[in-house]
Amino acid sequence: MTEELLRAPAEVKYAEELAWLESVDDGPKPFSWRLSPKMVRLFILGSERADGLDREIGQKWFGDRSFVERAIVTLASDRGLLLIGDPGTGKSWLAELLSAAICRNSTLVVQGTAGTTEDHIKYSWNVSMVIAKGQSRDSMIPSPIMTAMEQGVIGRFEELTRSTSDVQDALISILSEKYVSIPELDDDNIVFAKPGFSIIATANSRDKGVNDLSSALKRRFNFVKIPVVSNKKSETEIVRYRTEELLRRHQIELDVPPTLLDILLQSFADLRKAAASAGSDDEKLESALSTAEQIGVLEDAILHSQFFGDKTLRAATLASSLVGSLVRRQPEDLAIFNKYLHGVVEPRAKKDGGDWDGFLDGGRQAISTLS
Amino acid sequence: MTQTFTALRDQLLGAAEAFTEDPRSVSGILSGIVEDVDRALTEKLEIFPVCHHSPASALAMARRLREKRPSVIYLELCEDLRPILGELRNCRLPVALQAFASDLDGFPPGAGPLSVVAPVTESSAEYQAIAYALDNPDVELVLVDRSVDHVFQWSPELKPEKPSADVDDPEEAAMHGESVGIEIGDLRPGFAELEEHLVHHGKVRHWSEWWDQYVEQPLVDADYDSYRQVMVLIGSLFRRLRPSDRAKEDRDEDRERYMWTRMRQHLASSGADPERVMYVCGAFHAASRVAEFGLDGADTFEITDRTATKWLYGLIPSSHSAIEAQFGLAPGSVSIASATWEKAVRAGAAKPFRLAGQKGGKKPAKAAKAVAPKPPEAVTDKLSGFLAAPSALAVLDEDELRGWCVDIVRLARRHGYLASTADAIAVYETSILLAGMRNRSRPTPYDFQDAAVTCIEKDAVPGRRDVRRLCEILLGGDRVGQVGYDSLPPLARDVLDRLAPLGLDLEKRTLQRALMDLDAKPELRACSRVLWMLRYLLPEGALKPIMGSKELGKRSIQESWDLWIGREQRALIELGYEGVTLEQVFELRLRKSVWDAKATASDALRAVEDSILYLDNPRFTEELGERAVELLSAERTVDDAPEVLKRVRRLLAYYRANEPALPRWTELFVTGGYGHYCTLLPTAFSDEDSGVRQVAAMLGFLFTLENLALSLGCDRAQLELAVRQSHPEAPGKVALLWAAHTQIGVLTIADLRERCADMLSNPLVIPTFPQYLSGFIQALDPVPPLAGFVVELLSGAFAKLPDAVLLPWLPTLITTLKKEAAEYIPMLAREAGRMFPGTLPAVDAWTPPWVGRAEPVAAVGAVPAGPVAAFLAGRPESADAVAALLGCPPGWREAGPGAGAAGELVASHPATVEAVAALIA
Repeated sequence: MTEELLRAPAEVKYAEELAWLESVDDGPKPFSWRLSPKMVRLFILGSERADGLDREIGQKWFGDRSFVERAIVTLASDRGLLLIGDPGTGKSWLAELLSAAICRNSTLVVQGTAGTTEDHIKYSWNVSMVIAKGQSRDSMIPSPIMTAMEQGVIGRFEELTRSTSDVQDALISILSEKYVSIPELDDDNIVFAKPGFSIIATANSRDKGVNDLSSALKRRFNFVKIPVVSNKKSETEIVRYRTEELLRRHQIELDVPPTLLDILLQSFADLRKAAASAGSDDEKLESALSTAEQIGVLEDAILHSQFFGDKTLRAATLASSLVGSLVRRQPEDLAIFNKYLHGVVEPRAKKDGGDWDGFLDGGRQAISTLS
Repeated sequence: MTQTFTALRDQLLGAAEAFTEDPRSVSGILSGIVEDVDRALTEKLEIFPVCHHSPASALAMARRLREKRPSVIYLELCEDLRPILGELRNCRLPVALQAFASDLDGFPPGAGPLSVVAPVTESSAEYQAIAYALDNPDVELVLVDRSVDHVFQWSPELKPEKPSADVDDPEEAAMHGESVGIEIGDLRPGFAELEEHLVHHGKVRHWSEWWDQYVEQPLVDADYDSYRQVMVLIGSLFRRLRPSDRAKEDRDEDRERYMWTRMRQHLASSGADPERVMYVCGAFHAASRVAEFGLDGADTFEITDRTATKWLYGLIPSSHSAIEAQFGLAPGSVSIASATWEKAVRAGAAKPFRLAGQKGGKKPAKAAKAVAPKPPEAVTDKLSGFLAAPSALAVLDEDELRGWCVDIVRLARRHGYLASTADAIAVYETSILLAGMRNRSRPTPYDFQDAAVTCIEKDAVPGRRDVRRLCEILLGGDRVGQVGYDSLPPLARDVLDRLAPLGLDLEKRTLQRALMDLDAKPELRACSRVLWMLRYLLPEGALKPIMGSKELGKRSIQESWDLWIGREQRALIELGYEGVTLEQVFELRLRKSVWDAKATASDALRAVEDSILYLDNPRFTEELGERAVELLSAERTVDDAPEVLKRVRRLLAYYRANEPALPRWTELFVTGGYGHYCTLLPTAFSDEDSGVRQVAAMLGFLFTLENLALSLGCDRAQLELAVRQSHPEAPGKVALLWAAHTQIGVLTIADLRERCADMLSNPLVIPTFPQYLSGFIQALDPVPPLAGFVVELLSGAFAKLPDAVLLPWLPTLITTLKKEAAEYIPMLAREAGRMFPGTLPAVDAWTPPWVGRAEPVAAVGAVPAGPVAAFLAGRPESADAVAALLGCPPGWREAGPGAGAAGELVASHPATVEAVAALIA
């Protein structure tokens, strides 16, 4: 089935692995969970020899172990989980993996936008059926969150802070009372959440101040902050893992030379350092320089090399993708890149040579094209 | 090897064979570890392995001391620190034993000052041993480790650890200053990979948590044999797993040789019974394999002599966070260890020892009763059981966890969090769930901390401290030690005594404010003096004057001070290493500053000022002044000239106002300076490295102190020659030279005005005109009468300079004026005020005084005209008499225009003149 889907959800993609884990899991499971908390952790963070399993479970999310543990125990408790962090830090991916591992359903998702209404969180009506048969449970369209309540599974709310405050506050009663009443119906008018129901919300820390959460809602969520990965080793792992997945998906046979991966990581590290020391927003790139952006740059470079190049990833292509992906404002971002190329990359190319020379040339060319 | 551990060794070797592809290398390590344990345990002299800041070690030590009652204790601590151990009883722990040396002899130059600290906490095994030994007169405590001097001899590149950036309270973390830390029982894997491996597989966040979970907790209630065997095992494991090149680099083995040699020497000289002796050392050293190990070890190690460096010893306050920062431990780990210790003591796990008279904490336990010591028991294998059995799961202490949860919510609320009882419940539940996920039946403080962060921390931290830090505070908090009055060095005691009239408790770490009405209470003047000296000597932040100042010739009537002397106790104590009284230290510092190889004349003058201000010692001031004269004459650059001029003027003014006569050194300084600057003037004018300001200061010295210099025997001709030899090229300096010329009478203001007018009319020179102007502004100091001219010149520049030159120059003018000539602004403003009209209507009718002014024309060649001329022409006698007096030949009135050689030439060849006249007409 996974082949037929452009992007299969985690429970489909790892269905076989999840089934196997469930078969060997003898730990206590809270509510209606399909896996015990320890197994959920193992599914997400991968197995080690010391776990004594017969097969190897790959690591799917890269980050601090304690974040995952805190997220899992929050879901086992009475509160909702709010993953908060910069764009591209893997919040949604973690939420998807958690839902897939706990209840084999990660698709009950509400996407928070400025246009999200309370109906998207509670329920709406099939107007034709209401006209034909009147208001009943049959003519009601439950929201993904309500479906999750009915099934006792995890519901997800992406980008919670993008939706307006009144919509957000609809979650308060769901998280406290754990039921939704349907005043339009005379009987069977309350939907109670079954054990196992919880909500994983994600919020972008860069959206802070757009629609701040109310204190009442805040205290119904446990916050887990996901930082930008700054550990080079973990970052390399993530980029390699996601790139391999990508190559597989596109059926591309192309090698990513380790030296180029190093250059990519180093350039992001340099740009992050520059952003950290910048005095104003004009002095730093608009991009959050997250790991996801790194993967995006590499993906762009790979696809470019595959379809328009000589099927070999080159430093110049990487530089051009880097500039193309990260330059969003002109002239601010271009000026930063110009400074970076001539202040950092050029001396390094002179000193170390190798692929840095090609990287410098590619970068220059990309800047001159955009200028 | 004995047979005790044979079974364990066989089991380990079997495991190595079963689980590894190359069993030889692993089995070597595993069997070696067992051998190490066996050797340490069967040694005749009882070895007590400890780990630093380990409550398990401290508890085992307390229990063992009561059981064994040794008569001699050998402790792994620098042997020369022994005399100050007794002072511990006057202090509130944690404090650090410190050795300090600033006068180095035998170390590379520039290596000093050297400082070593060994922190002591109450929950440490070494403190238990020290308290037991010092409170029992029949017990001898011998420190056996290499001396502090050897620490640096063996590792000359030793540098203090820099505290990491993520410390919550950098102030507390920096309590040890720039010292190198040493501690008993440093037990950590020798290389990062092993530590990372252990932390990763132990599923913990950092080393301190690993240690707490896998060693500390299982050992807290373990019996003595198990404790010893496990500790040696870990010591041996870390020892054997470190890279081989590392073993060569460090001097751990030499330290072991040293300690064993010292112990054997002591045993031989004292005749102590080895059965009643205990050797307390780090577990790492207990697993030693050196030939000198044991009572029967080889005596081949030669202890080298110490260098001639003079070491000073004392105690400085320490804190848990300072210890964590110094030794790279996780924040809060020492506090958590301390909390574990207190909890175990409360639960009756051991009866701890405490030095009689120790400040802080609880009452001391009674001295150990004289119980007959137990005969030594044969060593049995406790390791196999310990390693094979799962660690005994501690029972959930519900009360404790509930207490933590309630307290953290209260604490969080106090720090601005919207935390409620619901959060306390959530923290409780989450702690248990987290502990369960991490295979613990009882949540550790780290689980609790994670749970609290999960449930209480939201998107922003409302106050100064986040939940993680609040948990650390809750679980013990940072504890800051204090050195008691009796253990302070004489200087610190003297300072506290002298400040006693202020009536403040200066040992408190909080801010103390001193308010002094010096006229009403003249006895407080002595305190004020001490405070000013302390302000000079202690680092910034120890005390701050809010009101009052200390300047030459000024006297405060009232003073107000903010004092943090208690918080900066370390700095005060370290000051005590430099001398016995503040005055002595002050004198030493001043002397050092003027005799430094890089000292300049201005440094020496500053020292003179400081000496007058802070010390009442004219002879010493004279000595510093003489040094200033020496330094000035030896100087070959004039970089410091502005500073020298400013200071010497101030000092002269002070002496003139306060002393009947100028001191001898000032006279020497002025006469020497006059000659010195005259000599350097031509070079400074032409040298590109000397700035306009420097040259102006030289001229300022020469012109403004000229009267004094001439009265003391200097010759003005020297200055005139020097000015005449000067040929500057830079416009600013040229302007200065012209100013100097006007001062010595070579150039009149009129000529100067003419030159400047020429420049303004010459388009090629205009771009450099602002630089000339800057030079003239600088010349205001040496030549004050030029003020009017400078105002005139500035007005002229604003009027005539083209915008292209004027506008770019204006910012430079303003910044230069502000930076280098701020003191001349009032003078310029005053002069401008005098010249320009004061009211707006007057401006219209105003003509600048320099416009239309009759130029003084040279007398020769002037055409006599007007009533005065007619009068004089009519009665020429008086003019003739003056002319005769001036030496003019009779008939001078006939020599009018056209006279002389030129006149004759024109008269004999009139054609040219006539042609020119025709052309003009």
